[in-house]
Amino acid sequence: MGSVNPFFLGCTLSLVLSLSAFGLIMIFTWRRPKLSLAISLTVSTICLIIAWLTFIKLSALKEPLILSVDWMMSDQIRVPFGFLLDPTSLLMFVIVATISWLIQLYSIGYMAGDSGFGRYYAFLSLFALSMLGLVISSGLLQLYICWELVGLSSYLLIGFWYEKFSASEAGKKAFVVTRFGDIGFFMGLAFLVLNFGTLDIHSINSAAMSKAFPAWLLTPAALLIFCGIMGKSAQFPIHVWLPDAMEGPTPVSALLHSATMVAAGMYLLTRLFPFFSCSPTAMTVILTICTITLLLSSTIGMVATDIKQVWAYSTISQLGFMGMGLAAAGLTGGYLFAGFYHLTTHAGFKALLFLCAGVFIHHFHTNDFFVMSAKGGRRLLIPMVTVTIGALALAGIFPFSGFFSKEAILAELWNLPNKMWLGLGLLGAFLTAYYTFRVIFVLLFPRPQAVGGGHGVEEEHGHGHGQEEEHGVPWVMAVPLIILAGFTCVLGFLQAPIQKFLLGEVHHHAPNYVLLVSAVGCALGGIGMAWLDWGAKGAKWEGFIRKVPVVENFFIQKWYMDHFWRWFLNTVIYGLFSRTFTYNDRRVVDGGVDAVAFGTIGSGRLLSFIQTAFLQLNLLFMVLVLGGIGIYLLMGR
Amino acid sequence: MTEHLASFPVLSCMLLAPPLGLFVLLFLKEEQQFLIRVVSLVAAGISFALSIYTFAAYDQKLGGLQFVEKYEWVKTFGITYFVGVEGMNAPLLLLTGIVIFTGVLTMWELQDRVKEYFIFQLALVTGVFGVFMSYDMFFFFLFYEIAVVPMYILILIWGSTRKIYAAMKLTLYLMAGSGLIIPGILLLYASSGIFTFDMVRLHAVQFAPWVQKLTFVMMYLGFGVLAGVWPFHTWSPVGHVAAPTAVSMLHAGVLMKLGSFAILRVAMYLCPQGFQYWAQLMGLLAATGIVYGVFVGLAQTDLKYVIGYSSVSHMGIVGLGLATGTVDGLNGAVFQMFAHGVMTALFFSAVGFIYDRTHTRDIHELGGFSKIMPVASAFFITAALCGAGVPGMASFWAELLVLVAAVKVFTVRGLFAIAALVIGALFALRVVQNTFFNEPNPKFIHYEDVSPFLGLPRMILIGFMIFFGIFPQVMVGLIKTSIIPFIQGL
Repeated sequence: MGSVNPFFLGCTLSLVLSLSAFGLIMIFTWRRPKLSLAISLTVSTICLIIAWLTFIKLSALKEPLILSVDWMMSDQIRVPFGFLLDPTSLLMFVIVATISWLIQLYSIGYMAGDSGFGRYYAFLSLFALSMLGLVISSGLLQLYICWELVGLSSYLLIGFWYEKFSASEAGKKAFVVTRFGDIGFFMGLAFLVLNFGTLDIHSINSAAMSKAFPAWLLTPAALLIFCGIMGKSAQFPIHVWLPDAMEGPTPVSALLHSATMVAAGMYLLTRLFPFFSCSPTAMTVILTICTITLLLSSTIGMVATDIKQVWAYSTISQLGFMGMGLAAAGLTGGYLFAGFYHLTTHAGFKALLFLCAGVFIHHFHTNDFFVMSAKGGRRLLIPMVTVTIGALALAGIFPFSGFFSKEAILAELWNLPNKMWLGLGLLGAFLTAYYTFRVIFVLLFPRPQAVGGGHGVEEEHGHGHGQEEEHGVPWVMAVPLIILAGFTCVLGFLQAPIQKFLLGEVHHHAPNYVLLVSAVGCALGGIGMAWLDWGAKGAKWEGFIRKVPVVENFFIQKWYMDHFWRWFLNTVIYGLFSRTFTYNDRRVVDGGVDAVAFGTIGSGRLLSFIQTAFLQLNLLFMVLVLGGIGIYLLMGR
Repeated sequence: MTEHLASFPVLSCMLLAPPLGLFVLLFLKEEQQFLIRVVSLVAAGISFALSIYTFAAYDQKLGGLQFVEKYEWVKTFGITYFVGVEGMNAPLLLLTGIVIFTGVLTMWELQDRVKEYFIFQLALVTGVFGVFMSYDMFFFFLFYEIAVVPMYILILIWGSTRKIYAAMKLTLYLMAGSGLIIPGILLLYASSGIFTFDMVRLHAVQFAPWVQKLTFVMMYLGFGVLAGVWPFHTWSPVGHVAAPTAVSMLHAGVLMKLGSFAILRVAMYLCPQGFQYWAQLMGLLAATGIVYGVFVGLAQTDLKYVIGYSSVSHMGIVGLGLATGTVDGLNGAVFQMFAHGVMTALFFSAVGFIYDRTHTRDIHELGGFSKIMPVASAFFITAALCGAGVPGMASFWAELLVLVAAVKVFTVRGLFAIAALVIGALFALRVVQNTFFNEPNPKFIHYEDVSPFLGLPRMILIGFMIFFGIFPQVMVGLIKTSIIPFIQGL
């Protein structure tokens, strides 16, 4: 082999180590929390170091580095495993490694004393393995494999507290719903490999850029692959798994919502951006779906009372936003920068928001932020400050990271000939600011008297911890918050370097003041609206949407999407197909077999009447038969 | 096909170790239970070790038939004792070795008529080994029948849940299948003009198209019964449910593969034109089985029925792979035979452990078992995830190969089979959720978890499943060596 490139060695090492951490903990040390933690955290730290070293050393990379070996060779189907290191994957690699390291650190405090501590860290290692593998994979099939593994690990982690029905149900839902999208992805891959011959990401993108794809191949393949993205990135109409996914431990939600599970979808869209942007049809579909998602989730976020649910819907809406940015860029011949930049900043501030929520939940044993507020949530200084920073970033306020990335996406939408998309994007920004600050204002200005029968108290976890609760925030939980808040403050000003890193050059646009003003106006408008509804002295603590009860109910019922899928599952899958087929199996197929068997027995029984052992009867029968033959012979002649 | 004679009769030793053990058992007393178990374990262990040896020592560069042993048996009829190994049966011999070895370990706690049980089990496995290694049609069929008959007794005596009905149904069904196979074999034998049962020599003969078409469909249906081809599958879930644990393991893990292997080895190999003619039907039945199996399984509440229907679906994948008639499809089909065998053995082994303690398999009555016995549950959950097609497990690769090949050959049927994956996932996770998650049933809370010794067979199965899941090329590379010439010969 000669000398292997040290970067590839590093990548391989990080994957192999994560896998062995998973294996070691699952087989040997799962009963010992400390040892499992040590293994997992060591591996995670090594991955972190490898990721940053690779990132720094390769920051001036011109050509993508590719190395792959054939892992399985059948006849026409070959599965190469390898790494594709280019700016996109390197940036994501660093994000994933960093966030998962922070989550592992934070979980020491959050999960302390849980009976499944070792198992938890094993699953986190598996998660890191699959996500790191996904990010740097060179071929789509390898990506698909890691993609499924990401689904598996989130299934395991969402359903981590499996004794709870809601948790085991949520895990199953997440797996099955994303698998529903993955069917499309798999069909797309099969379609592509049979007609194009390779699934190498670099070759696909190069071929797309040189217009080597015929339209009949391109658009269906792109749309089918997008089905997978819809599942993973929780886009309408199969977004329903994500809000339920908060049944898992909160650090897991932070991981899922920021850098891993849901980011995988948008990452794939970025990864294949040249390919997708060759098909305007596909891009228009994507734009439409992402816009619907944005509006749907923002409106549901306005009425949710569970802090994690608000953040969950904000994730869906921000993913929709990223998708809109990428699709708009694809339609106007722009660059992937805006959407991917938002993915980067979002990873930081969404992890921050969830981890802050985790601190509150850990402290107050409730998910309802009205209750948290009543119990004095604002006295927890570090999380309160950091959650506000995160919220400002989410709302898109200068100088936090979200402002810059949202601005970039809106600029892409501005370029579209139809200004409707821009308007909807701005509406989304307005709603986002509104529901985000609804949470912040409620937490900041508690009104204990307002919490009565209206808001139920939900216990998130009663096991492990809870008996003796030390006050204040343990440092393992505070440090990740501060680091992430730091990222949120800094990342915005790194727009130009990141752009240069990703695209190789900086595209300067003359600042578009109309857009700037309207975007900031929308964000501030949202915050102002929230202030009027929830913050100000005379505020009624009622959303403005309460004035239209029909619409509010529609939002509270989550646009009836859950109802629809529940109906689909119960009536169509279980009720129609499963029951019919089972009936058929019991009565028709098996019934037929039994009928043959019993028919045989019956006819045997019938014939047995002849065997009566009465010689006279036998003789009579013989004579009759012989006589019959005789007559036949006579007549025949 | 090039044939390389064995310097040491590895295959005969593999084949004869179980009957030898059986012979020793005959002289032991029922009271010497420990000795009985050890003897059976040693006999199974020898076969297991030799099957690993042939798998590893098969020379992929050389290819062809290796470890060949050939002795004239009845010269007048052209019957020879002809055994060998090539890429397509090496994995199945390995599978048989794994399943019998782990099966004996799984039945370690058996108390009822231990001696007879192991005698019949060893007899059964002799037949299975014989089918997989024979290249003479007479011996092939002889061993095939040897494998089928002990099943009747095993289910009838050591079974549960409607065992008489199930045993009778299974036997009648398989006999009906044999009734189709014998005329097929004799037709080929008679119309070849060379009066030999040697399959390699028969392969060189060009049979008339009508002979091929007729023989193929007879053999396909006859062997298809054993392979659980839809709509001749109903014996299999019933049989699985009634059979004792290790017999279910052998039954679903190995016996069903006899059918699909025979379709490949005898029917497709000897009647290529017949295969071309009937391929569309094969694809249709297989795809129907895949979709049908998961939907019916979705409605089941007995753990073993659930697994039984998942077998119908997974064996449909084998059938679909065979029907494509492409190298990828056949590679995938053989790989799936292996992967499914290991997976179902693990399934039944895990269920058996739970059933032996709780005496129920109703998923509504069970629940929260991850809390009660975390290790035993982990075994079942691993198998379920493998069944749901999670990467990193052997069956993922097999399904990948088959499905992509199927989309190419039969687009619509292939797409339906892919769509069934989501139901497959729902199906597996539903069982896992009901049985192992949620609040534990207080009735079962005092049960002990699996001990390291009893966990051993399950660990072996998981080990193989994950090893080939991570390094599929070890398997595919081997299978390919025989599939490529096989396809060229079609």
